[in-house]
Amino acid sequence: MSDLTLAVASGKGGTGKSSFASSFGVTKEGVLLVDADVEEPNLALLLNLKPLESSLVSLQIPVIKEELCTRCGKCTDACRFGALNMFGNNIPMVNDLCHGCGLCSLVCPTKAISETEKPIGEIRHYLSRNIELLEGRLMLGMPNPVPIVEAVVDAAMAIEKPKVIDCAPGTSCPMVAGVRKADAVLLVTEPTPFGLADLKLALEAIIPLKKPIGVVVNKSGIASENVEELCRDFNVPVLGHFPFSRHIAASYAEGIPPAKSDPLWQQKISDIWNYFEERVAK
Amino acid sequence: MRPKEIVVTSGKGGTGKTTLTSALAASLGKVALCDADVDAPDLYILLNPSIKTDYAFWGMDTAQVDPSKCIGCNRCIESCRFNSISMINGKAVVDTHFCEGCATCAYVCPTNAISMVPTRQGTYYESTTDFGPMWHAQLFPGGENSGKLVQILREKAKETASKEGIPYIITDGPPGVACPAISSITGCNFTITVTEPSMSALSDLKRLAQVARRFSVPMGVVINKADLSPNISAKIKEECFKDNIPIIGEIPFSEDIPRAISERKIPLKEMKAEIDNIVKKVFELLG
Repeated sequence: MSDLTLAVASGKGGTGKSSFASSFGVTKEGVLLVDADVEEPNLALLLNLKPLESSLVSLQIPVIKEELCTRCGKCTDACRFGALNMFGNNIPMVNDLCHGCGLCSLVCPTKAISETEKPIGEIRHYLSRNIELLEGRLMLGMPNPVPIVEAVVDAAMAIEKPKVIDCAPGTSCPMVAGVRKADAVLLVTEPTPFGLADLKLALEAIIPLKKPIGVVVNKSGIASENVEELCRDFNVPVLGHFPFSRHIAASYAEGIPPAKSDPLWQQKISDIWNYFEERVAK
Repeated sequence: MRPKEIVVTSGKGGTGKTTLTSALAASLGKVALCDADVDAPDLYILLNPSIKTDYAFWGMDTAQVDPSKCIGCNRCIESCRFNSISMINGKAVVDTHFCEGCATCAYVCPTNAISMVPTRQGTYYESTTDFGPMWHAQLFPGGENSGKLVQILREKAKETASKEGIPYIITDGPPGVACPAISSITGCNFTITVTEPSMSALSDLKRLAQVARRFSVPMGVVINKADLSPNISAKIKEECFKDNIPIIGEIPFSEDIPRAISERKIPLKEMKAEIDNIVKKVFELLG
């Protein structure tokens, strides 16, 4: 059987994705953690890991050769992102809106456009204290996290190990890009009205991907929304309740994953992993 | 007079943006509201808006393949840098979630099988609440998380506030530091960043502070659940002091706040003194 890749996602932010991802990291030996919350990557900080090495993730952006450019305007017309502007008789200028699609260099009739790499983020590799982590990190001020999410997930998929992908919050493409290549998805919610509303959106986004999904209710006890009922409607199992505890919250705030501060957490985390392994094997 | 826009942000999700936004609205009494967290909008849960009008939100045009013209040559797949096209039974199929709308595939297609078509990405709403008008939206699940939609909502809220003579707009921002977060703060008058005493929230706050500085947005920090870790709260204050970011409030953890939210009530009376203090500081900093 090949190794399980489990994505941890949520919809609402702050429900405890990283608590769960880091808990898998300290419970399942040999698991590769993947931090795909590239806008705000925190697993390395939580687990107090130091980077071994890093590599840049870049976009291919246009470079225009002045002597070949005829100022015909075909590239500025073709660009759908408004990333190329021509002022007066100057050659077009490239701005931060460039998505790196490469269309301008294809449409240029005089082959005046070549490409250069523009770094928009990095992938960091961490390995210490028996924990291995690949982290995607968006450079500040860059608008689009998706290429970094894809790069870190692709780098992880090339490594033959069981994997846990800590995804971005929300329900749109950065989250979906983190989940897309996983075998199964664990959704972390909390029993508040916000948690429930966003869980519904997350389920609507993920169910079309046709992967095994399970839900855990974190901080149970702080409120009492009916997560079970929603999950029944979507035919998705609730795999566990994790009561709110000041002790766990305080330890976690100082960087100790819940599975390390609470043996019950560790047991449940292990059970959830086994559950997904069995479901994916079927 | 032009309305002043205050955007509630956080970096890290789940620190309490929506709760604070609702309490500020209730405390100010008459405001224009904007829910710029179009990905997971929750402000409606506490503000119970009555929808006046809904509008279709059209994102970027996306690629559409006419299967009768597609000859399965793979050129579109080779040219797409966003991995949004796959070949299924000899025909190109576009995953619109990942199509960025660049039109490179349409350009390279030798049989003109690909056209760029307007794509509806969600709905946005003009509503009324007990505290004033509200603009909010819902993107389709898994869709393109759109800075463009955030901009529309903010502009509409500004128009409405100007027209109705409302002096303040309170905007509930998205988490993160990329496109939606940038779109929600650029050009606003002030951002209140809600954090909590954890190492992750502090790290996220620092990243957001750099982005806010890059776009010249003045920032003040509220430490929510501040007593959960006095050590880290002290560290947050120290870091903010170093970076010249004012701490404009601290809210202690109280089980009464989630309880009120569970009852769909704005937890204003549970943190009245703290909210009054935050409002006073924001007014001072706004000048």
